[in-house]
Amino acid sequence: MRLLTTLLFLAVPILGVWSFWIADSYGWWFPENVSTYGDKTDSLFNMITYMVGITFVLTEVCLGWFIFRYSRKGQTKAVFSHGNHKLEMVWTAIPALMLLLVAFSQMSIWAEIKFSTGFPDDNGYSVEEPLAEVYASQFDWRVRYPDEDGNFNGADIVETPFEFVVPVDTNVVFHLKSRDVLHSFFVPMFRLKQDAVPGMTIPVWFNAREVGEYELICAELCGWGHYKMAGMVKVLEQADYKEWLETKRQELYANGSEELLADGDDGYEEDYE
Amino acid sequence: MHDIRRNVALLLGSALVLVGCDFQFEGQRPSLRFGLNSNILANEDSGVYAAELAQDPNAQAQIRGALEMLFGTPDAPSFARPEEWIDDEYDPNYAGYYEISDAAFEAIMAQNEQLFAPELEAIARGNFADVRVQREALDLRDYWSGIMAEYEELQAGLESGDSTESELAEFVAAIQEEAPAAFIEWYPSLRESAELYRQQCLHCHGVEGGGDGTTAPFLNPRPRDYRPGIFKFTSLDNKSRPRREDLYRVLTDGIYPTAMPSFRRFSNAQLNGLVDYVRLLSIRGETEILLAVEFADNVDEGLPMELIQSTYLDVWEKWDAAADEYIFFDGEVPESTPEAIAHGRELYMDAKSANCVSCHGENGRGDGPSAFEMDADGNEVRVKDDWGNEIAPRDLNRGLFRFGRRPIDIYRRIYAGINGTPMPSHASMKDSEGERLLSDQDLWDIVHYVRSVSVKEASEG
Repeated sequence: MRLLTTLLFLAVPILGVWSFWIADSYGWWFPENVSTYGDKTDSLFNMITYMVGITFVLTEVCLGWFIFRYSRKGQTKAVFSHGNHKLEMVWTAIPALMLLLVAFSQMSIWAEIKFSTGFPDDNGYSVEEPLAEVYASQFDWRVRYPDEDGNFNGADIVETPFEFVVPVDTNVVFHLKSRDVLHSFFVPMFRLKQDAVPGMTIPVWFNAREVGEYELICAELCGWGHYKMAGMVKVLEQADYKEWLETKRQELYANGSEELLADGDDGYEEDYE
Repeated sequence: MHDIRRNVALLLGSALVLVGCDFQFEGQRPSLRFGLNSNILANEDSGVYAAELAQDPNAQAQIRGALEMLFGTPDAPSFARPEEWIDDEYDPNYAGYYEISDAAFEAIMAQNEQLFAPELEAIARGNFADVRVQREALDLRDYWSGIMAEYEELQAGLESGDSTESELAEFVAAIQEEAPAAFIEWYPSLRESAELYRQQCLHCHGVEGGGDGTTAPFLNPRPRDYRPGIFKFTSLDNKSRPRREDLYRVLTDGIYPTAMPSFRRFSNAQLNGLVDYVRLLSIRGETEILLAVEFADNVDEGLPMELIQSTYLDVWEKWDAAADEYIFFDGEVPESTPEAIAHGRELYMDAKSANCVSCHGENGRGDGPSAFEMDADGNEVRVKDDWGNEIAPRDLNRGLFRFGRRPIDIYRRIYAGINGTPMPSHASMKDSEGERLLSDQDLWDIVHYVRSVSVKEASEG
């Protein structure tokens, strides 16, 4: 019975460790990283995972052993212990050191990603002159690009729903805002997650290394339609991006006749993908 | 000791239940039937209809039967084809084939090729077991499981000697030849689109598209009721039924800022399929209303076949006429100048012409006197739209326009009005001599004024 209890108990940590072990080969692990700072976030994550993983295994083995060795046998009287000062010092000091290690090793990376005073501005986008404004609302992502004078207040801004188009290999700075409740701008493949807080304008930056389409999801439960806030970050070649923005600006002044098809066919605009 | 045994038994029991649940995961789907419209809106005969229906199971059965004949059920929706369509070889059940231009269909195929790349690759490699068809593509799934059944039979036959290696290789080669086209040319059937509608749209818009899904009561503004055939946002004049493109745009862009989100993450083919299905629901709903009114007039005669057919075709005609009502401006969009804006403001305030101020208010806040009415108890309430919901005129200062913020979008709103709401068509306002009160240029000036107002607060959260 003692053995069965121990094994039942150990089944949980063993299954846990096993699921980590096989995660990568089943595609349960992280998606590929395409942002410049994502590797650093991943290395922090890996460091913490190893630390926690080793501690977890050691602790569970000890617990398993204690359950097996010291479970109650007959009428034996328990030993009264007042603790062990040295042992307590050790198990306080080691975790404290580990915490300090985690705390100090993340500081520079956190600062690089989150401190707006240190945002790169070598591409013409800066906290003062962002590439775009991203509005989160229930249950919508809306991206606004400034007019030709860099003005976000003008009537000629470009607005795209659910689609954030950016140039590749560029330090992109944008402003994140919320119109109603808390939302969170999360692009797993950039390792970027930032809450959108009503009433606040939050500068965010990233640099995507590869052209492609990446999922943008809301990572803060924001209401019944939370799951519908699935947008997309579309990374284009720099020249393509300029052309895209130019086309969008011209489309603002469309007179509607371009939607009439020459052959009178009942078809669609090419633009709709 | 006894306790431990009981706990172990409980643990194993719950583990078994969990495993059992897993096997049941795809469970039986309840089959759906279209219900009847219990409150017909924007129709003075609605009272008669509702009363007739509530008390007359025979009437209900007749209308239900007629509608099922014309439109099928949610599990097997299809348009009935009158003889003239068969003669003309036209079939709205295959919209992808009959209604989408070749260029647009090529775009659909190119996207399908990308989306189905893993499946196409698996087929090319001969790994048929790796092909996973998305769950709402019911017909494609059926097609593929047919192939798999044959394939597995041949494989099993290898051991028992019923089939040979060369037979299997021949079969694989034949499928590799034939199957890719089914994926690349995939365009959802109405049945497949109904399935996607069931997953994505039904919880707000309801089984019949009545805007009465389970989430609907929590929303303001309410989800659209497709059944009267009135859609607020189109690019068309004369309260026409929407073009496919208008519905498509609502699906890709959403209607901001309402609960209608963008469905951009679905493929071109899927969204086109949803447009097809929404059109079916809307045509069904309008046919139902017209049939019911006819029926209320002639309860004794019932519904003769000719009447059903002519009503059906009348509704279709409205949808087919849409393309001729498209609004565009012949020429370049006029530039916004201070004079244009000032003139726009004048017209905005002028009670004898545009008179925007009466609803939208002096400052464009949507608080003009006509935005309110007295209810039966003498309280001031907001005016209602055709669906019976209280609505507010747009606050123009916020820069949030429901169906696009481009000048041409706002121009169309002012030109043709908004269907189902008190927002009137300004292009059709006539003076006593029958001349247009507002020229196209006047309308553009109002557009520029509205845009100038919207700028002030546009970027405020």
